[in-house]
Amino acid sequence: MLPRTLQLTAVAKRSALLGIFFFFSSLFALHGQQPAARTVTDELGRQMTVPGELKRVVSLAPSITEIIFALGKENLLKGVTRFSDFPPAAKKLPQVGSYVHLDLEKIVALKPDLCIGIKDGNPIAVVRKLEHLGIPVYAVDPRDLNAILETIVQVGALLGAEQKAHAIVSHMRARVGRVKSLVATSPRKPRVFFQIGVSPIVSAGTQTYIHELIVMAGGRNLAEGPIPYPRYSREQVLGLSPDVMIITSMARGASFERVKKQWSKWPSIPAVRNNRILLMDSNVCDRPTPRLIDGLERVAEAIHPDLYRKKP
Amino acid sequence: MKPRKPHILRRICIISTLLLMVLGIIMLLGISVGSTGTNIKETLFSLMGVEKADTMLETIIWRIRLPRVFLATLVGAALSLGGLVFQALLRNPLAEPYILGISSGSGIGAILGILGGLSPFPGVSLAAFAGSMATLSLLLFMTSGKTMLKKNVLLLSGVMVNAFCAAFIMFLISITQDDRLHNIIFWLMGDLSMADLPQVWLLAAVVIPSAVLIFCLSNTMNLFLMGRELAQTMGVNIKFITATLLVATSIMVSATVAACGPIGFVGLVIPHLLRLIVGPDHRVLVPACLLGGSAYVVLCDILARTLPEQGEMPAGVITAMIGAPLFIILLKKSGS
Repeated sequence: MLPRTLQLTAVAKRSALLGIFFFFSSLFALHGQQPAARTVTDELGRQMTVPGELKRVVSLAPSITEIIFALGKENLLKGVTRFSDFPPAAKKLPQVGSYVHLDLEKIVALKPDLCIGIKDGNPIAVVRKLEHLGIPVYAVDPRDLNAILETIVQVGALLGAEQKAHAIVSHMRARVGRVKSLVATSPRKPRVFFQIGVSPIVSAGTQTYIHELIVMAGGRNLAEGPIPYPRYSREQVLGLSPDVMIITSMARGASFERVKKQWSKWPSIPAVRNNRILLMDSNVCDRPTPRLIDGLERVAEAIHPDLYRKKP
Repeated sequence: MKPRKPHILRRICIISTLLLMVLGIIMLLGISVGSTGTNIKETLFSLMGVEKADTMLETIIWRIRLPRVFLATLVGAALSLGGLVFQALLRNPLAEPYILGISSGSGIGAILGILGGLSPFPGVSLAAFAGSMATLSLLLFMTSGKTMLKKNVLLLSGVMVNAFCAAFIMFLISITQDDRLHNIIFWLMGDLSMADLPQVWLLAAVVIPSAVLIFCLSNTMNLFLMGRELAQTMGVNIKFITATLLVATSIMVSATVAACGPIGFVGLVIPHLLRLIVGPDHRVLVPACLLGGSAYVVLCDILARTLPEQGEMPAGVITAMIGAPLFIILLKKSGS
């Protein structure tokens, strides 16, 4: 009797072990379907836990929306902020307030796995509140062109689009390189006044993308200095005697032609005399997105039209 | 005097109950309505604990809308009671805490806090509180001594302090050029959207004791209305009572301004409206103003959240936009 019972218990043991094995292996299989949560560190060095595979992302700034679209991950995007107008498809997504005045309730209702926000702009109080409600906020901080490239790579890694991100970044680098080598052939550094506001007249100081674009495009930013967005009187602009004036379309309603006409009363400004006043879409020179390179090329063409004319 | 007491108690109870019901309905509406839609039934069930709504709606109701409605309630109560006290103290129907520069003072504090890079809470709130307390001390110092009893001196000094502070705020705005400007402007418009519960409890801890103290002094405020001399002959220590009311009200009002920025016209409209309805007795008016002011601000906040299609606007815009025309209508009606 004894050996039989032993045998039986052995069989029972084996089947139990098998059962446990199958139980765990099925757990493993389930596990394989749902990648584990991962810990990521955002550009401000803050750590957060996000699901292994992000499914619902809310963008808290128009520039982030553009980057996500550029990365081809717009299927994850469940909400955007107002003025997310590029690409046009972004306008159709649900809006969660403007980037400085976010609508908390709408964000929560979209049930995002993650929000991607921008350090300069999104109020820290809202970000803290979102995190309090269990929604992680990944903050990016693209202060200059190099940081923008870094941000694109980071967001690409976050959303599982590393390859696309690297492709975008190397394409952007190549275009920057072309502009730089082209303007390097000119010995001149024209004086540029970049006007982003109509009344009052506002320009962009050293800590802006606009300054970086002007310098990279072989010009001299007349508004360089510590103040990010300095104000100017008409008299000061006359005194600066810019060779080139670039006006952005930021002020909606104020037509470019009217601003241009106002300046044309002052032919003592070289830019007016030589008809070197140009209009630019503000979105391509003040948003930290891949489109900033379009802005760079346009600024370079405005500053050095001769170099661009020579090209076929 | 004795047989009148139960009568006044009954009036207080009846009016308070009625207003409490109005406030209750408006608060329920406030919790049910938001930018993601209206859901009164689910909200009622969720509040009563009958049936759990889905977690997303639970979060929105309990952690976003509820703190906001509580904050609006406290702010409304404090501001409207503040208006009532100042109108009684200065015997001037135009008096409001804001007119004495208390809100502008805290505005300067808050803007300096924002420019100095302080955190919104408690940093900027404390700076705002310090600003209004500094303005109040300056005001009391300027009008100290005998002149304090003359209401016009206090009122006029307040108007001037207010004007100076307003100019200083404009100066600070004009020299600010980066995106902190957004923070400043939203703060100045009076914004309730960032409410959270710790902030609400803190405000409640300031507002409730002040309101109780003011209620205890409400009969004395009635005597004030008969004239200072008469009040003095009836044994009221005018200087002491004035100072107590002034300080209690100012602390209460500065705490609300620190919490959510200046929200105007509540202290002007609500006491006037209620005086027309319930009469001039402050024993009735104090609780009525507390409840009526709360209901008004919660209602204005509901409108602020739901009227604009694109995002919401600050509640202070609505209180002023409704308050100013309403006040003119009241003036015309009471005049004729």
